[in-house]
Amino acid sequence: MTSVLPIILAAAAACAVTTSLAAMLMLAERYLVKYGTCRLDVNSSDRVIEVKGGKSVLESLKAEGIFVPSACGGRGTCAYCKLKITEGGGPVAPTELALLSEQELSENVRITCQVKVRNDMSLVVPEHLLSAGEYRGVVERITDLTHDIKNLRIRLVEPKSIKYQPGQYIQLEAPAYGSNPEAVFRAYSMSSMPDEDDCLELIIRLVPGGICTTWVFTMLAEGDEVRFNGPYGDFHLSETDREMIWIAGGSGMAPFWSMVRHMAAHDMARKTTYFFGAVRARDLFLVEELRKLDQHHEWFTFVPALSAPADEDNWDGETGRITDVVDRHVSDGSQAEVYLCGSPGMVDAAGRVVTAKGIPPERIFFDKFG
Amino acid sequence: MKRTPSEQRIIELLAPGALCRDGFLGDDHRELQEILDADRATVEALGLTHRDIAAALDDACRAAMAGLEAPVHLTSGNLVAEFHDAMGFIPSPWGEGKLFAKGEVVVTDPATGDRLVYTPLSVHLIGKHGFYQGRGSPYRLDPARVARLFGLGRRASNLDTTSGKET
Amino acid sequence: MTAMLAETAAQLSPSPGLWIVLISAALTDNILLTRFLGMCPFLSISKQLKSAFGMGLAVMIVTGCTCVLNYLLYVHLLLPLAPYGVPAESLKLILFIVVIAGFVQLLEMVIERISLKLYFSLGIFLPLITVNCAILGASLFMVNNVAGKGYDGWDVLVYGFGAGAGWFLAIMLMAGIRHRISGGKVPAGLQGVGITLIITGIMAMAFTIFQGMIRS
Repeated sequence: MTSVLPIILAAAAACAVTTSLAAMLMLAERYLVKYGTCRLDVNSSDRVIEVKGGKSVLESLKAEGIFVPSACGGRGTCAYCKLKITEGGGPVAPTELALLSEQELSENVRITCQVKVRNDMSLVVPEHLLSAGEYRGVVERITDLTHDIKNLRIRLVEPKSIKYQPGQYIQLEAPAYGSNPEAVFRAYSMSSMPDEDDCLELIIRLVPGGICTTWVFTMLAEGDEVRFNGPYGDFHLSETDREMIWIAGGSGMAPFWSMVRHMAAHDMARKTTYFFGAVRARDLFLVEELRKLDQHHEWFTFVPALSAPADEDNWDGETGRITDVVDRHVSDGSQAEVYLCGSPGMVDAAGRVVTAKGIPPERIFFDKFG
Repeated sequence: MKRTPSEQRIIELLAPGALCRDGFLGDDHRELQEILDADRATVEALGLTHRDIAAALDDACRAAMAGLEAPVHLTSGNLVAEFHDAMGFIPSPWGEGKLFAKGEVVVTDPATGDRLVYTPLSVHLIGKHGFYQGRGSPYRLDPARVARLFGLGRRASNLDTTSGKET
Repeated sequence: MTAMLAETAAQLSPSPGLWIVLISAALTDNILLTRFLGMCPFLSISKQLKSAFGMGLAVMIVTGCTCVLNYLLYVHLLLPLAPYGVPAESLKLILFIVVIAGFVQLLEMVIERISLKLYFSLGIFLPLITVNCAILGASLFMVNNVAGKGYDGWDVLVYGFGAGAGWFLAIMLMAGIRHRISGGKVPAGLQGVGITLIITGIMAMAFTIFQGMIRS
């Protein structure tokens, strides 16, 4: 009988200590970690959001339908999610310091995926992020345009229509799959016409090892549901009547395919020359359709060019790098506007060529997310 | 091994699905530090530095990008470089906030058939951090193979550069 | 020389016992260089001075506080139960670990709430030290000292912070040394952990000069 007492006492002592610690931790969790409801004041009270504190600003905004772009899934490495937090941001975290310049720090620019909402805050959110919405759609058709470019046609389900300007883009959600643990968002320009507002089309080129394009090319099928948000972007036709020079390569065709058909449908007869560069004939697409538009409308000229045509292509069009072709064709660009859409390398090279033609920087337009 | 929070973040970003589909470590089960040490040893045995190798790769990459996806003949050696464009930017897993153009460079030696495939980001990772990526990663560059293709450094006779074991 | 210092210190301070406790905890009986506890984070986090500082500070605060908490637990719960047959020696191990783990969690939450600046410099290391054996070791040595040398509450407080300070000192020294040798040529097989362990051994040998400083 007496030998049981030590065991009971020992067990009681152990339980007492563990229970009181657990209770203390639970209390701490309830009163210390909970930040309560915090007010996020967006654009000087233009919009006020009440959120539960404790999450990052990026996540809190996303929960309220404001999708701040991010390329690294909120891990504080891409600096896409920068926003100005004028009040309530607290001390700058070490992970933010690596990504912000002195200038940005002095302007209260913060990396929103690294800032936790602990109190009321005031933020500045660019207009185009605020007007974007969340959409659900169904894949109506997937067609191959070239060996590594697909056309994705999506019919909208909820909401049933989308309003956008030709040249804008959406962020498509690639869900978790295979070795990809989390959903990611990737930006694609819309190639469809805004008038057809119950569906949209995207031109997507396979990126080697790309998370989203691998999903689109190997797993997405007609009838699948997709989610995206938008529209975003400052890349659109300007309000002026100036002559336009368009330069694109690969999936950079998308915004221009939207723009030219929109212009044709609305009788916008602005002089436009569209330079599209590819390597060989198998990389070209929509050539016949664009040539037809060229023939039908005297304001539109289509100039496809191949930089290394194969013999069997029997190519009789322009040859050479697209930047050299532009160089040859454009004599005086001082009154023109230039629109660029393509990979960063192509955009840089084209930008240099047109600047040398006398086109001022404020008339050269391109999408920063390209 | 305990890691500082910043090292932990880097390891998370090197994993598949974080920044790119296949990640940067392939099927290599070694610790990051081991991979860095092993590759540094190879580079030192060649009498080179990470910067030397990154410089050669960078020159080839820039020349290829200037060709806008068409094949380009490099000035040094008889190499041909081709850049395959892709839209978008990828950040560095080391978290410096720098963004690099997506897309890949393919450098071939037509005479031997030797072929290297890498990206602008991998050039930065080699030059700045001495990271050549784990075995099995699609863009891993073995320093010895790079040196051999570009004709850099001294040939170390005790280095197994010709076995073709390394990917 | 060191004996003279100890004599002078003993004559000057009001409670000479506390000075001896501090010096023995931090130097002669350094928890890392004499007792070889807490090596894992020591080896991996001593690469950078900034992280070493944050980690060392975190260890010092946690060791100090948990030593006191564990002392109170030992003296006011376990010892009174000992006459009933409760084995204080075996039970203390489990209970100390639980107290340390719980305390670290609590401390992290408190720091995040009261000072973000402090949280960014040392709070992020707290989850890493939950199972740092130096902290458990300090608590267990504290029990030995209470039993053997008759430490009281104040002694335990100084002992706890002193032991943590010794660990802090060791990791800062190591970080400084590693920073100094970072440009040099280390043989391939010894790079990283190898050379660090060798340096630790040399530092431990250097710390043996403190032996004999305390006449016990």
